[in-house]
Amino acid sequence: MGKKRRGPSLEELLDRPWCYYCERDFDDLKILISHQKAKHFKCDNCNRRLNTAGGLSVHLSQVHKEQLTQVHNALPNRMGVDIEIFGMEGIPADVLKAHQQRVASQFQQAELDRQHATGNPPTGASSGGQPAKKPKLEPVSDLKKRLAEHKARRAEALAGGSSGDVTPSSAAPSTSTPGGYAPSPQVTATPQYSYPQPYGGPPAGVTPHFSQTGSPVYSSYSPVGGQQVPGASPYTPSGYPSPFPAALPAQPPVSYGAPPFLQQQPPPSDNRFTGLPAASNLPQRPAFAVPSVNAHEMQQMHMGHVPSPTPATSGYSNASSQATENVSAPVDNQIPGAANDGAAKTEDITKPKKEKTKPAVRLVYNDDTLSPEEKMAQLPRYAYVPDKSTQTALSELPGNAIVGAIQDSDTVIDPAH
Amino acid sequence: MTSHQFIVASPPTDAISTLKFSPDPNSARIVVSSWDKNVYLYDLRDENGKVGEGKLLQKFEHRAPVLDVCFGENENEIYTAGLDWDVRKIDLNTSEQTVLSSHEAGVRHVVYSREHNIVISASWDSTLHIHQPDAGANPDSLPIIVPLPSKPFSISATATKLIVAMASRALHIYDLKALALLTAQADGTAPGGNRVEVEPWQRRESSLKFMTRAVACMPDDAGYASSSIEGRVAVEWFDPSPESQARKYAFKCHRQTAEDGVDVVFPVNTLAFHPVFGTFASGGGDGVVALWDGISKRRIRQYQKYQTSVSSVAFSASGQHLAIAVSPGFEDGHDEVLGGTVKIYVRELGETEAKAKGPK
Repeated sequence: MGKKRRGPSLEELLDRPWCYYCERDFDDLKILISHQKAKHFKCDNCNRRLNTAGGLSVHLSQVHKEQLTQVHNALPNRMGVDIEIFGMEGIPADVLKAHQQRVASQFQQAELDRQHATGNPPTGASSGGQPAKKPKLEPVSDLKKRLAEHKARRAEALAGGSSGDVTPSSAAPSTSTPGGYAPSPQVTATPQYSYPQPYGGPPAGVTPHFSQTGSPVYSSYSPVGGQQVPGASPYTPSGYPSPFPAALPAQPPVSYGAPPFLQQQPPPSDNRFTGLPAASNLPQRPAFAVPSVNAHEMQQMHMGHVPSPTPATSGYSNASSQATENVSAPVDNQIPGAANDGAAKTEDITKPKKEKTKPAVRLVYNDDTLSPEEKMAQLPRYAYVPDKSTQTALSELPGNAIVGAIQDSDTVIDPAH
Repeated sequence: MTSHQFIVASPPTDAISTLKFSPDPNSARIVVSSWDKNVYLYDLRDENGKVGEGKLLQKFEHRAPVLDVCFGENENEIYTAGLDWDVRKIDLNTSEQTVLSSHEAGVRHVVYSREHNIVISASWDSTLHIHQPDAGANPDSLPIIVPLPSKPFSISATATKLIVAMASRALHIYDLKALALLTAQADGTAPGGNRVEVEPWQRRESSLKFMTRAVACMPDDAGYASSSIEGRVAVEWFDPSPESQARKYAFKCHRQTAEDGVDVVFPVNTLAFHPVFGTFASGGGDGVVALWDGISKRRIRQYQKYQTSVSSVAFSASGQHLAIAVSPGFEDGHDEVLGGTVKIYVRELGETEAKAKGPK
C-alpha cells in the first residue's frame, strides 16, 4: 500500500538551489551556475561567460575598458556588483532567510489553496499525520477485538469463497461499485472505511455515498475524537458534494484549482477515465480537467493534428458532455488555422490564447501615416504658425489687437456722453 | 555607466531631434537640434584637447522647434531645418543666420552634399528643396523644388546618391549629380518657376512593412540601411542587379518581452554608419543602442539600456566616438519632458569596438 507522493515537501523546496539575482530556483546547482553565467555574468561585448560578478567586472575593465555598474537581468534590489555570488555561495544571510520565508509561505499558501480546492488533507498531514493518528484512534483492546472479528470474517469469507477482498461480507452486496475503486489512491480513506464498517452499522443504502458513510463511522468509533475531526472534515463537506454520484467518489471535484495534485493523480484517474465512459453522466465528471485534455490531445494527434502547446482552459471540460463533439470542435478550428502560421492556429481555439498570440506584438508607436515628429509638432506647446509678413513672434499680434479694440470702444462711448 | 562614456554638460531642455558630429576628423564638435527651439554647439574637448563632458559653445535660437541640423562645407557653418518651415544657414563664427528657403510645412531633414556643394531639405509639404549654399547671400540663386509623391520621413546622402524615404513605404534614390546640375541651371531662370519634376534614379518600395523611420547610407556608397517603427532594420544595396538585390535582408531588433509575454516593439529611431568600419549603430525607442555588422549580419554589441528613448546617434568623423541623444516621450508625444531626462552621451569607442568581427 504505497503512499502516493503529493509534490515536493517543504524541505525539498527549501533545499532547491536558487539564484540570488533573479530568485529563480533550479533543480540542480550545476544548472543554477550555468544560469548565472549565461544570464548575469555574461559579457555583452564578447559574450564571454564569467563565473562571478567580480570576474565580469575585472574582465570588463581589463578587456573592454568598461566598468560594471550593475548585474544584468537582476531584480532591481539585487543589481549590486559588490556582492560576490557563485551558485548558492555568497548570498547574504538576511536575503537567504527572506527567501526561505518566502518559499515557506508560498508553500503554505499553495497547501492551503490545494486543501481548499481538493478537500484533501495537507501533504505533511496525509503522509505523516494519518498513520500517526491511527494508533491514537483505537485502543489496543479495540484493535485486538477487531482483529479477532476480522480474522473470523476473513475465515468465513474464505470458507464461503465469495470474494477475495478485504471487504466484509456484510458490505459485499452494497459495494459492487466501491469494490472497483478500492485500490484507488485514496488509501487513507479506504482502510478506515472498510474496517469500521462492521461497527458502524449498515452503510447508507446501496450506493455508499462516501460522505454519508464516512462521517458516521468516524464519529462512532473514535474515542479521542478531537483530532481526527479536522482530518476527516475535508472529506465530508467539500469532498463529495451531492452532484457527484457514488460512481466517482474518489475523485475530488475541484481538481482544476490544484495542478500539483493532479499531476500526481494521472495514473489512477486515467484508469478511471478509460473505465468510465460506460458510466451514465459524463458531464459531471470533475476529474476531467487535465487528463481529459491529454486525452483530447492524444486523439487529435491520432487524427494528425498537433496539439496546442498551451493547456486548454476549463471551457473544455464544461463542453465535454459529448466526447465526440468536444474532439471535433478543436479540429474544426484548427483546419482553417492550418493555412495560417502557427500563431494564428492557436489563436482560434480559446480567448486567453488570442491575447497571447495575435497581439503578442505590441507596437509602441503605431501610426502608419503620421511620423512621431509630426505628432509631436501638433502638440500645442510646439505650435507654430508662420507669419510671412512680420518676422516677429506671434505673441505681439494679439496684444495689438486687444489694445485697438479697447480704444475703439472708448471712442464710441465718449460721444454718447 | 562605463568609464568611457561621458554625459555632455548643459544639454537641451527639451527633446533632441538630431545630433551631428563635425565633418572634421580632428574635431570633437557636435551640433544638436532640439524641440526647445535651439540649436546647440558643443565642443567635447577640454583645454588640453582631451575628450570629456565638453562644454556648450553656442546656442542659436529659432522661432520653432528645430528638427534637423547638419554641418556644411566645414565645421564653421551649419544648416538647420525646423517647424518654422525655414531652411537656414548659420555661420558659427559670426552667428549670422540666413534663410535659404521656406517650405510650406515643417522641414524634417536637411543634408549637405560636400561633393556637389548643395543643400537638400525635405519637408512635410512633400517636396525637396535643393539649394546652393550661397542662396541666402545671392538673391538670384533660388532653390529648385522637387515634388515627392509622399511626405518624406528621412533622407540620407552618399557621395553620389540621395535616398528619400517617404510615407506609404515609398523610397526614392536620386542621383546627386543630376540634382546639382539642375540646381546650377535653375540659377538663371525666372523666380518662382523653379519647380522641377525630377525622375529618381530608382524608385523602390520599402522592404519593411511599417512606416520608415530612418535611412542611412553606407560610407562606401554601396547600399543603405533603413529602419521602421516596428523594431526592424533592413539592409539593401543600390546595385539593381539581381545578385545584389538578393543580398538584401531585414532583421528584428529593439524589442522587449513584457511580463505578460507580449512582445513590445519599439521604433528604431535612428541609424548611423561608422565612417571607417562600415558597421552601423541603431537607436530605438527602448533606449537601446546596438552596433551591427551589416555585411556579416551580426550584432557586434549592444550597450546598456538608457533610461529613455534614443532619438539620435552619430559617429564622429574619425570613428572614435559615438554620440547618443536620449530624450523621453519621443514616440507618443504625450509625456511632459521632465528636467534632467534629456541627455547626450558620448562613448569613446575602443579601437575595435565598432569593428566587424568577421565570421566566427
